[in-house]
Amino acid sequence: MLRFVVRRLLLLVPILIGLSILVFVWIRALPGSPADSLLGERATPELVKEYNERFGLDDPVYVQYWRYVKTTSHFDFGVSVATHRNVSDEIKERFPATVELALAAMLFATLLGIPLGFVAAKKYGGAIDHASLFASLIGVSIPVFFLAILLKYVFAVRLGWLPSVGRIDVESDVEHPTNFYVVDAIITRDWATLRDVLAHLVLPAIALGSIPLAIITRITRASVLDVQNEDYVRTARAKGLAPRTVDRRHILRNALLPISTIIGLQVGLLLSGAILTETVFAFPGMGSWLREAIFNRDYPVLQGGILFLALVFVIVNLLVDISYAIINPRIRYS
Amino acid sequence: MSVVEAEAVEVQLEAPAGLWRDAFHRLIRNPGAIVGFVFVFVFVIAAVFAPLIATHDPVEQNLLLIANGCCPGPSAEHWFGVDLLGRDLFSRIVYGARVSLLIGVVAVSFGLTIGLFFGAIAGYVGGVVDSTIMRFMDVMLAVPGLLLAIGIVAALGPGLKEVMIAVGLANVPIFARLVRSSILAQRDADFVVAAKAVGVKQHSILFSHILPNAISPVIVTATLAMATAIIDVAGLGFLGIGLQDPDETPEWGSMLTEVNEYLQTAPFLALIPGTAIVISVLGFNLIGDGLREALDPKLRGR
Repeated sequence: MLRFVVRRLLLLVPILIGLSILVFVWIRALPGSPADSLLGERATPELVKEYNERFGLDDPVYVQYWRYVKTTSHFDFGVSVATHRNVSDEIKERFPATVELALAAMLFATLLGIPLGFVAAKKYGGAIDHASLFASLIGVSIPVFFLAILLKYVFAVRLGWLPSVGRIDVESDVEHPTNFYVVDAIITRDWATLRDVLAHLVLPAIALGSIPLAIITRITRASVLDVQNEDYVRTARAKGLAPRTVDRRHILRNALLPISTIIGLQVGLLLSGAILTETVFAFPGMGSWLREAIFNRDYPVLQGGILFLALVFVIVNLLVDISYAIINPRIRYS
Repeated sequence: MSVVEAEAVEVQLEAPAGLWRDAFHRLIRNPGAIVGFVFVFVFVIAAVFAPLIATHDPVEQNLLLIANGCCPGPSAEHWFGVDLLGRDLFSRIVYGARVSLLIGVVAVSFGLTIGLFFGAIAGYVGGVVDSTIMRFMDVMLAVPGLLLAIGIVAALGPGLKEVMIAVGLANVPIFARLVRSSILAQRDADFVVAAKAVGVKQHSILFSHILPNAISPVIVTATLAMATAIIDVAGLGFLGIGLQDPDETPEWGSMLTEVNEYLQTAPFLALIPGTAIVISVLGFNLIGDGLREALDPKLRGR
């Protein structure tokens, strides 16, 4: 097991190096020099020259790359052009929002998708099965932002059941020690705020969870269909175990193996989807922040944010790999 | 006729039917795929014959139409109503099909060609070349698709060509991986060994013997990638970072950008472009699923 983890960690090294080079090259490919974009309209030739000297932009490329690696490895991404705040400080505030949203979306997708896929496989060819196939097809075909707009229209604008924008009531002025609002509300035992925060999460989470829901339902169904004809399932039935025990202990348990990898693969989709969902619901997470950064040509935010999200993505995938090896010992030796 | 000859005739009778013909027959018997073809057909017709189908100029603004508030809904004159600037929504949807189809086809072909090329080399050559290419693909896969596309558009600037490259590049690692694994599975197959034994050149083994046999998963993935590409293009458009001038080029995603505030009074402004996206994406997904089942009957109903 340890060897497996070490090997996976070592694989991370080339990916991180590659990623840092990619982002470094990308920054240089952006239109306008960093000096222009930072100084904006105040840029005079003298100022630009001074700036270039101060930040060593006249140095050879490899010197610049090394400096870039050193500063970013301290999570120092510079200062936002738009807000003049430290990019890493803003990440501290906004990343928890996106994590909360993504976790809620994933929770929604797994808690609904696994039972749905299981029932569909059990009633193979029946009405529930067809309905679930059709629904998951719609689920992967509907753009996240369109679904978000639809949900907002029906449940916020029309019915008025749920709030349509933001993460918390605008008049709320409670403290946020961790910036995970759900956690904050629980540790301060502020149940009214908790309800408010959860209400703000419902619609964005459903919108963001729709694609993983469709995929998880489909994979669960296919996986259960595969597993339920295995010899050990027949044996379990033949020796007279209760059908429910066979379902739970023999079928579902083995069928869940591929599902755990699929859940890991959804992280990238979730991050992409978060940009769109957060924009529709004006949810103050990483996604809506990056979108604003694009409009403001806020390059420090863009490079910091994209590098950070890519890092998170790589690390989550690593964790998924490792947890998969724990659940399924067969994988470790291959 | 001897038994051997009889068998030979039989084999010959069956052989021309082959994988593709069988697959085609299975495909046209699949109701889902038929619906998919109908959707895609409508989409392609709208895109190709946009100037003939559109009832108005898609970019002509008519502020008089929205003088009494935004926005008049569907009517005999304007089948899908008019948008925030008094432009005919039906004509914009029809022209929008053109933009989506064009970007989708070019982006997927672009991603496919590059991915096919690198995947084929990685899989066939192996060794250091293989690991170098695949590690690079891993890095590309490490950036979530839309984020990668945003980064590329940010670097290249907005525009039709730039969006095509952005969406296409996001597809490269997917095709490269697929082709590589397909080829690894074929590399030691008997027909490859046979071709080598009779002295066929390396590149013609790769391009005339291995690739054609590795192509069916690629076709399926390309169809599904069309669906994803349309969604990605719309997503970029919705975020307002795709096209240079969204007012001039009717694009479905960007039509959904500004309608947020008008959901109360004119929900059709969101519903109609959204439905157009869903139908075209659904079409490609249905065909893709149908193709997958047709080419690999074991998957039927999975």
